[in-house]
Amino acid sequence: MRRAVLILVPYLWLLALFLVPFLIVLKISLSDTAIAIPPYTPTLDFSAGWQGIREFFSELDFENFIFLTEDDLYWKAYLSSLKIAVVATFLTLLVGYPMAYGMANAAEHWRPTLMMLIILPFWTSFLIRVYSWMGILSTEGYLNQFLMGIGVISEPLVILNTNIAVYIGIVYTYLPFMILPIYSALERLDGSLLEAAEDLGCSRLSAFWLVTIPLSKGGIIAGCFLVFIPTLGEFVIPSLLGGSETLMIGKVLWEEFFNNRDWPVASAVAVILLLILIIPIVLFQRNEQKQREAEG
Amino acid sequence: MNQTVFAPWEDPAAKPLIQFKNVTKRYGDFTAIDNQSFDIYEQEFFALLGPSGCGKTTMMRMLAGFETPTEGTILLGGEDIAPIPPNKRAVNMMFQSYALFPHLSIWENIAFGLRRDKKPNDEIQARVEEMLKLTRLTQFAKRKPHQISGGQRQRVALARSLAKAPKLLLLDEPLGALDAKLRQDTQFELMDIQEKTGTTFVIVTHDQEEAMTVASRVAVMDHGQIIQAAPPAQIYEAPNSVYVADFIGDVTIIEGAVTAKDNGYDIAFAEGQSVYAESTLNLTNGQTGYIAIRPEKVAISSEKPERVRNAVQGKIIDIAYLGNLSTYYVELPNGQTVKSQTANTRRLSRRSFTWEDEVWLSWTDTAGILLER
Repeated sequence: MRRAVLILVPYLWLLALFLVPFLIVLKISLSDTAIAIPPYTPTLDFSAGWQGIREFFSELDFENFIFLTEDDLYWKAYLSSLKIAVVATFLTLLVGYPMAYGMANAAEHWRPTLMMLIILPFWTSFLIRVYSWMGILSTEGYLNQFLMGIGVISEPLVILNTNIAVYIGIVYTYLPFMILPIYSALERLDGSLLEAAEDLGCSRLSAFWLVTIPLSKGGIIAGCFLVFIPTLGEFVIPSLLGGSETLMIGKVLWEEFFNNRDWPVASAVAVILLLILIIPIVLFQRNEQKQREAEG
Repeated sequence: MNQTVFAPWEDPAAKPLIQFKNVTKRYGDFTAIDNQSFDIYEQEFFALLGPSGCGKTTMMRMLAGFETPTEGTILLGGEDIAPIPPNKRAVNMMFQSYALFPHLSIWENIAFGLRRDKKPNDEIQARVEEMLKLTRLTQFAKRKPHQISGGQRQRVALARSLAKAPKLLLLDEPLGALDAKLRQDTQFELMDIQEKTGTTFVIVTHDQEEAMTVASRVAVMDHGQIIQAAPPAQIYEAPNSVYVADFIGDVTIIEGAVTAKDNGYDIAFAEGQSVYAESTLNLTNGQTGYIAIRPEKVAISSEKPERVRNAVQGKIIDIAYLGNLSTYYVELPNGQTVKSQTANTRRLSRRSFTWEDEVWLSWTDTAGILLER
């Protein structure tokens, strides 16, 4: 009985905050636009009784999903988001792994400070931090001023409003999510394993490839998913730092919703996005579980 | 049958495998190893024994190549090993934590070192199978380290470090993580494997029983120095100092001024009371000497024994009952405690002595070992 109650709590939580909203979005995606409040039809009218409910369901259709396949904007946006998310995740890994490695190998008394420095940016609003990147990357920004000041370049670099700025923004924003799981994997790594590898004939470098990397694999995978999943639907960074060439599904979704006020199409975009995300989320869960079993 | 005793350290013509020459290791102000010179011979099972922080692990890590001596040289087969990195040394180590690679199977763990040498595949295959057989692990080859027991893990670690057929195998507290029963079995297994492979073993341990059981020679260490390096029996029966006598086994130390007499000395430990010990030491009369007496060499009786030079009377203050043995702690009138150990050949209810009993303790002229320090 007690167990049932304990299990019930998370399930109710999921039901109320995930499944119900999702069903609402799914329902809207099957509706038609209307100039009304809310801007779609049909709406469920219980006063009409059984007949009303039957009519309500008969008016739902997959028109919006078919529309998504007809206009190539959408699948291009999905593909482009996927590409940006994959590249950005890889870049974050390249930057994050050495940092996590450095932290894990730093003197014990330094580690809390370093950890603090990683978490510290979260104390400022995410939006303000992205805005400040605009100040750094714009043609008159600090970066160009600095580079021109020391004479490396004579013309300002155009970085803001390009995909490069988007990558910089994503790597910057999601770096802690990459560093922390890798750090925790590396910190747990038993130093005597590396000595054993060396003792058995490995050079430092091959010990790193044969022992450190495989044993931090769990952290790498977790970090990559933690970056990849939110990046795929990212909206703020591409809309603030990206340009006209930056096509991301989050931005398309926002425009459908607020500029076109086409809630049903926006909902259909969101449903597809969720379906795409379910695959990595399931893989992520499986990785976590495997990790736990290996340690268990 | 003419059986030669294995004792290359007594043969001046024998060539040592390892030579420590005036080796000192300092960490800042702290001296971990203090100017040590000693030899280890081929096929020896050499134990470094001492309390934690005595420098035994540093000694081993210098042999493995994880530490370099601050001063002095270490020779392996006549060659200075200081410039050789750990991955190029013909020395392998079995780690205290075993340090098995958790992401590799038992088979791959054992093959790890062989693979690094770029040996042909069938040769690796054969060698790993041989090692699995030697350590009775064949049926576990495909398992991961976390899927086998502690004792099996210990054998994997041993197989892995032996796979490359090193000239020297270092064992860092190899049995520390095993429970007492398993440890005993494993000790004999270790000796067996050492004999079969003919590899020189250097073992680091803080467990004196373990060192005594497995080693051909035991080096008792303290504060970065080897106090005595000798075969187990000699360490026990003829310690060279109070420290060694006290560290190995149970002992009673009696301190007093010496007076030469017959083939040894009288040691006056209390007003008008003295005990005698035969000794070849050269001491001046009046100098302080120490007698170390093993409890099992002290007899206990209710009447004063006759024809024994060393007999003292006291009161039993404590009895340590170990099942097979009992150790009586007898307090002499001057406050000195002497331990006497007897085998419990009779049932407990028929035991002749109990607390507060007045008893006589006696031992022979050669039972006590006279020590200078």
